[in-house]
Amino acid sequence: MAGVGGAGVNGAGLAGPGAGPQEPAGPKGLSGGGERPLETGVFGTLARGQYAALIRLRWHMFTNELRFRKGALELGARTFGYMLYGFTGLMIGAGAGAWAYILVSSQQWRFLPIVFWIGFLIWQMVPVMLASFQEQFDLSILLRFPVGFKSFFLLYAFFGLSDVSTILGGLCCAGIWVGVTLALPHLFLWTTAALGVFAVFNIFLVRAIFAWIDRWLSQRKTREILMAAFMVLALSAQLLNPALHNFPGRSGSHASRHARPQEVQRIELEYSPWLRTANEIQKWLPPGLAAASIREVAEQNPGAALGRLGLLGVYFLAAGLVLAARLKAEYRGENLGHSPKQSKRAARRVRYPGKESTSESRSEFASETTSAEAGKAWSGAGWLGTGTGPITAVMEKELRTLMRSIPQMYVLGAPLLMVFVFGSMFRSNAGGGNVYPLALPICMAYSILGFSQLFSNNLGTEGGGIQLIFLSPTPVRTVLLAKNLFHALLFGVDVLLAGILVSLRLGAPDSAVLTGTIAWLLFALPINLAVGNLFSLTMPYRVNPGRLTRQRGSQANALLSLLAQLAVLVVGGAVFLLCWHVDNLWLATPIFLALAGGAFYVWIRVLRNSDGMANRRRDVLIATMAKTD
Amino acid sequence: MLAQMGTTAIQTHGLTRRFGALTAVEDVTFSVAPGQFFGFLGPNGAGKSTTIKMLTGLLEPSAGTIEILGQPFGATALELKRQIGVVPEGMALQGRLTAPEYLHFVGRMYGLDKATTQQRTEELLEFMQLANESRKLVTDFSHGMQKKLALAAAVIHGPKVLFLDEPFEGVDAIAAGMLKTMLQGMIHRGATIFLTTHVLEIVERLCTHVAIISRGRLVANGSIAELRSGVASTVPGAEGERRLTLEEIFLSIVGADGMQEPQQELSWLA
Repeated sequence: MAGVGGAGVNGAGLAGPGAGPQEPAGPKGLSGGGERPLETGVFGTLARGQYAALIRLRWHMFTNELRFRKGALELGARTFGYMLYGFTGLMIGAGAGAWAYILVSSQQWRFLPIVFWIGFLIWQMVPVMLASFQEQFDLSILLRFPVGFKSFFLLYAFFGLSDVSTILGGLCCAGIWVGVTLALPHLFLWTTAALGVFAVFNIFLVRAIFAWIDRWLSQRKTREILMAAFMVLALSAQLLNPALHNFPGRSGSHASRHARPQEVQRIELEYSPWLRTANEIQKWLPPGLAAASIREVAEQNPGAALGRLGLLGVYFLAAGLVLAARLKAEYRGENLGHSPKQSKRAARRVRYPGKESTSESRSEFASETTSAEAGKAWSGAGWLGTGTGPITAVMEKELRTLMRSIPQMYVLGAPLLMVFVFGSMFRSNAGGGNVYPLALPICMAYSILGFSQLFSNNLGTEGGGIQLIFLSPTPVRTVLLAKNLFHALLFGVDVLLAGILVSLRLGAPDSAVLTGTIAWLLFALPINLAVGNLFSLTMPYRVNPGRLTRQRGSQANALLSLLAQLAVLVVGGAVFLLCWHVDNLWLATPIFLALAGGAFYVWIRVLRNSDGMANRRRDVLIATMAKTD
Repeated sequence: MLAQMGTTAIQTHGLTRRFGALTAVEDVTFSVAPGQFFGFLGPNGAGKSTTIKMLTGLLEPSAGTIEILGQPFGATALELKRQIGVVPEGMALQGRLTAPEYLHFVGRMYGLDKATTQQRTEELLEFMQLANESRKLVTDFSHGMQKKLALAAAVIHGPKVLFLDEPFEGVDAIAAGMLKTMLQGMIHRGATIFLTTHVLEIVERLCTHVAIISRGRLVANGSIAELRSGVASTVPGAEGERRLTLEEIFLSIVGADGMQEPQQELSWLA
């Protein structure tokens, strides 16, 4: 059973009896290398050749894409993206390093774990936020080749080390390393070891999490459980709210800064049992262990330091095992779908009006209802109000797709949660709790950030189904209109919820700010829809709504849509600030309404032209959406 | 008004498609009469899928004209699109919908009302033996099930002309038998079917007329009997009693340039 149990689908079954996962070489003559025996193992001749082949494959994919204009655009966007991530990572690293330096040099060891926790959260949370924009290579394509499990595992764990989370998390770790080493140079080696294990643990953990999430999202039952867990987590996060609301010292005012030591003391007294418990728990978790092991060495406790580092190593191994368990199942060729069931009703006879069905009679039903009838139905069922027709069909389909896509719902819902949790930041502690006048538009702008991908790649979830848009008698502009209407509806619900949440946190907004914000939203929506339709037709990318990872994102689309959104925010900010400066916030409303009129016109023009654009680019659109590699 | 019966169901003239320097389809002219079961054959890369994409509006021809049911056809001919059904190469399914949801969606995209869509969906799912899988997402379907669903979607609006690109690929023998019966039923009721497949036995059994494309050019066109008599003199032993199979006809026509004998055996294979 070596071929099945050990090697599974990867082709090692060719190796015949005795060949395990690490001995994938086939019978003489089929082994690729031919006569000489291949070294097996994770760094054997075969594995090394496979790694090299994979690198070459990626290189060829990269250079081949450059043959097209879109590829060159992608390269530019990717370069810019990496520069941006690198810069952000450097800022985070510099901040973490400076903080670590201050804490270590002032011997405030008890706060050092906070820096590690920040690094940990960045490492684990950023991929969720950016997964759908990142292009990720699906390594499961390797399973058809004689790749040993260890090689597959190694590749999975370390492939894509250039992703955003690793860049940001890695630079954060590097910053901490520099900070601690500068403060206490003799800790250089130990800090290197502790941060090294911590970094590898993070790499394994993030991949394990995403591998399991992909697995859970692929089946209905686990998908629903995950959905419920997600909702519980989201609701639980709201419990943070009272703590944050009562957290003093957020204001940067002079009075606040002056009162900080007393406030910290008060917090410590008020929250000391909770903080003590949290501290005790975090000590045994990876970020706490990494920080504590450095502290133990600094305090001349090498045994304790080694123990902490060892425990961190155990966490690293555990993360590796969790990842290995998932990958092993994938390696063996698991079927993520439901197992095909024998149709119980296969032989059941179907009764049709006026006759007993046989295969012969049933075969004719398709012709009984003719396209002329379809035409009759079509003429009376074209618009939204009738509850039928293509517009509602597309909207219904979009709703179903969204409801089955946790990643998409998360992207839309997370900003709302953040608005609710952090909304109180706009209330000043000094001066009787005044609310920052432009809090509402700022919160609104933040709450609609999640729509960026939905607007700018609105054909992305169609996949191969995009062909139907071109095959059916429904014009592309009708499909885009339906999608736009659905997204506008979502947008409306989102901003309404955001408005309610902001009002709950900060009280009823000023009427001038409220009307100005509504007018700005009336401008932001059509312009985003118009730009989104253009981007969707010119630089689309296929999105698997059931996956968080292994997506084929488009950096160019992501970057340009971000810039478009930024432009809308800048216009809004400029108008609001100008009106605030002249002390007449009411002025913002007519300005935004005028802009909204222009934006609406642009949106209509884009919709009108969308048929021509789509038809001119339909082969590219179909090729992009239908490709499965 | 669309053309009535009597005109051709499909007519192309000088149909050409170029991709840069490559000419995938060149000067293809043929016609398919209403009610015909038309097989469109060719080796891999001959231009079959490119032709069917142009015929269904998925790809714009570089040159030439297409008429469907006597009317000029292009991507913007929406009225005509309602008269045709297509199972395209990629099946055009929506993975995140269930089969009933997908058929509802397709029915309404073709302008059927809700009640009609509902009724036909139920019938089609029963017919395709997919009714028990109605809660399963399409993405979880096997390839054969997806093919059946794609075919169901192609006929839900009762098209007059049906384009099928490899409809039997991955479909089990029982389902294939069912589908053949259904397609023959459609032909009996006057529909026209344009079929591409590599399974020549199916073409021989179902199709009355065949066209063969090779390297982008149409190399044969006519009824199977016409093609048989056309190549009879070139196939050794075919002059006597034995009827040539479609495979022999096909190989005789495209074999000379499409399928040459390998010069030597592969050196590393036993």
